[in-house]
Amino acid sequence: MAELMTIIESHLVAKGFDGRSRTGVDGTGYLSISVVALVEAAEELKRQPGVVLVGLWAAEAFGAPGFTLFYAFEQRGAPALFILEVRLPGNRGMSIASEFPVASYYQREVSDGFGIEFDGAFDRRRLFLHEVYPDGCHPLRKSFDGGKVVPARITPEREYAFREFGGEGIYQIPVGPVHAGIIEPGHFRFSVIGETIFNLETRHFWKHRGLEKLAEGREANAAVQLAECVSGDESAANACGLAMAIERVAGTVVPRRAWELRTAALELERIYSHLGDLAGMVVDVAYPTGAAPFFILREEILRWNAELTGSRFLKGFIVPGGVSRDIPMDFLEDLHEYAECFLSRFDAALDDIYNSAWVIDRLETTGIVKPELIAPLNLTGPVARASGARIDNRIDHPYGLYSELKPEIQTDEAGDVLGRFQVKAGEIEESLRLIRDAVNLEETGPVRAECRPGSGYAAAAVEAARGQNLHWVFFKNGRLDRWKARTASFSNWLAMEHAVIGNIVPDFPLINKSMNLSYAGNDL
Amino acid sequence: MSLSQIIGNILGPKRAAALVFNESEFEKIGLELKGEIDRVFGRSLAIRELDTGSDNAAEIELNNLGTPYYDVERFGVCFVASPRHADVIIVTGAVTLNIAEAARKTYEAMPQPGWVIAVGDDACGTGLVRDSYAVLGAADKILPVDFKIPGNPPTPTDIIRGLLAFMRAIKKRSL
Repeated sequence: MAELMTIIESHLVAKGFDGRSRTGVDGTGYLSISVVALVEAAEELKRQPGVVLVGLWAAEAFGAPGFTLFYAFEQRGAPALFILEVRLPGNRGMSIASEFPVASYYQREVSDGFGIEFDGAFDRRRLFLHEVYPDGCHPLRKSFDGGKVVPARITPEREYAFREFGGEGIYQIPVGPVHAGIIEPGHFRFSVIGETIFNLETRHFWKHRGLEKLAEGREANAAVQLAECVSGDESAANACGLAMAIERVAGTVVPRRAWELRTAALELERIYSHLGDLAGMVVDVAYPTGAAPFFILREEILRWNAELTGSRFLKGFIVPGGVSRDIPMDFLEDLHEYAECFLSRFDAALDDIYNSAWVIDRLETTGIVKPELIAPLNLTGPVARASGARIDNRIDHPYGLYSELKPEIQTDEAGDVLGRFQVKAGEIEESLRLIRDAVNLEETGPVRAECRPGSGYAAAAVEAARGQNLHWVFFKNGRLDRWKARTASFSNWLAMEHAVIGNIVPDFPLINKSMNLSYAGNDL
Repeated sequence: MSLSQIIGNILGPKRAAALVFNESEFEKIGLELKGEIDRVFGRSLAIRELDTGSDNAAEIELNNLGTPYYDVERFGVCFVASPRHADVIIVTGAVTLNIAEAARKTYEAMPQPGWVIAVGDDACGTGLVRDSYAVLGAADKILPVDFKIPGNPPTPTDIIRGLLAFMRAIKKRSL
């Protein structure tokens, strides 16, 4: 990323702006600029090939009083991240949503948390603070003590303004927040003509639990526990991501044996997550018999998780410095054997689906995510790969053993529900191979190194089942001062609003299931 | 051939036993639960699930109750789509400020007498997020909780065991 940093820095200097670059402990390039240089920098970044805005967050009292904004960019093909660091003189920033559309969403999040206003922003509605939060309440500010909020009275004027559409035959369907199934809360506002959706607005954050604030002041181990409840079925990925960032601050080298076991946990998580999605898609086209084998295999993986780590959801296993316990060798040998028997049963279940014309008919051409949305909206994971993007954090920014294991990327060109089904099915088989390759049955050794972060900051990105999860931490004297988690769900929810357009309302559950985005993991 | 036999043929008997560990226990609890439901609720217990801020792991386990390994409907337990059809509301998660109003409305839509069961540590008040600014607290902050099933998350067997204990508790109360 040094290259991109140099290009932007010299461009700014040539234009008469200031800029100071440095490289973080994790190899991340940081370029510190003033707010007046931001728009110029954004325009220049937009001109560079393959540059995507992957995150935007703020921190208060980051080395100096006041607010600092962090704009994290990724250039496809470059291993390190590039972060623009903008110190604000007051609480006004500049919107860069016209260069990087996804910024609009990020900016709303920063405005809620810190009360920072973005000049030029075209959407200033609240995001994670619903109308029950009183005006002027910005919980991520240091002046906010984290104590209880006195809920505001919800008057009609305070209610959230959905986009309004008028015209003959147009009607709206509000769905949620409490849904009809055993599912997390979210709100969907469909605008429909006949049966066809022509606009969808999602409104989430019903499950906003204030995790980032709650983590402030905690020590490393306690913070990683919180990362595990970002999303219950991404415990391993988020624990690993935050632990990696903390280990970079502490300068900890995680033992190889720990990485073998972490890799097994991460891939088991991907397998059970994807199995649930495959089953869900098949259920949603009313073929429960076809879904049953996927449910059965998934339950077996959950039991393996419990057997190996003590938790069906792999909680408490990944800790800063390594893993919390070794796994006995005979367990791992059995897991190897199980992986083989899994494959033949899995393939038989897949054959049944691919040979069922009525299933394929529902999946094909449904809920297309256009490839041109991937970069502007920062789409990630299977959602992006099913639309042809060859991106995977395990390959693009390898961590742990992934540079040796070299996962084979699974892609599809169609971008529809069937594409996502196939990508996820392919990834399950690849994950099984990775587990077998990662866990060296001969090797033993320590599974945990000492990890005592002092002061410093670092970023880490992992590939969760849903895509790239980004974690950034700032430690002060051994305690966490600011943690930012930007999950794949947060990125990919934006794809939903586009994918449903032109589809019929009854296909929405199917499209939703094919992406399987987390509500908890989005709402934090 | 039963699933335990299939797995037993592939893995050593020790590991196979671990993988199918609670099949017989689950079966036993399930049949007892069915007996209680038959007596107290007239053959079916209708449950509305209400997520007020969990991390979704509890939902996954509740969903798993319906999958082939558990198939809980055979014991008379069914999850329904509307609170208007529910005997019991199962609440998962600490109650966030954002969801509190919708959660109250869901409870108010349930016919009475109705019961509320808190599932998972957060709903029971012992979870990690209980001190956050963004949550009001455990489920009993806004709803009259009759019974608690703790766990992070509770396993399907824990949940079914909890439901059995709940049935016994309300039977005693109504006598």
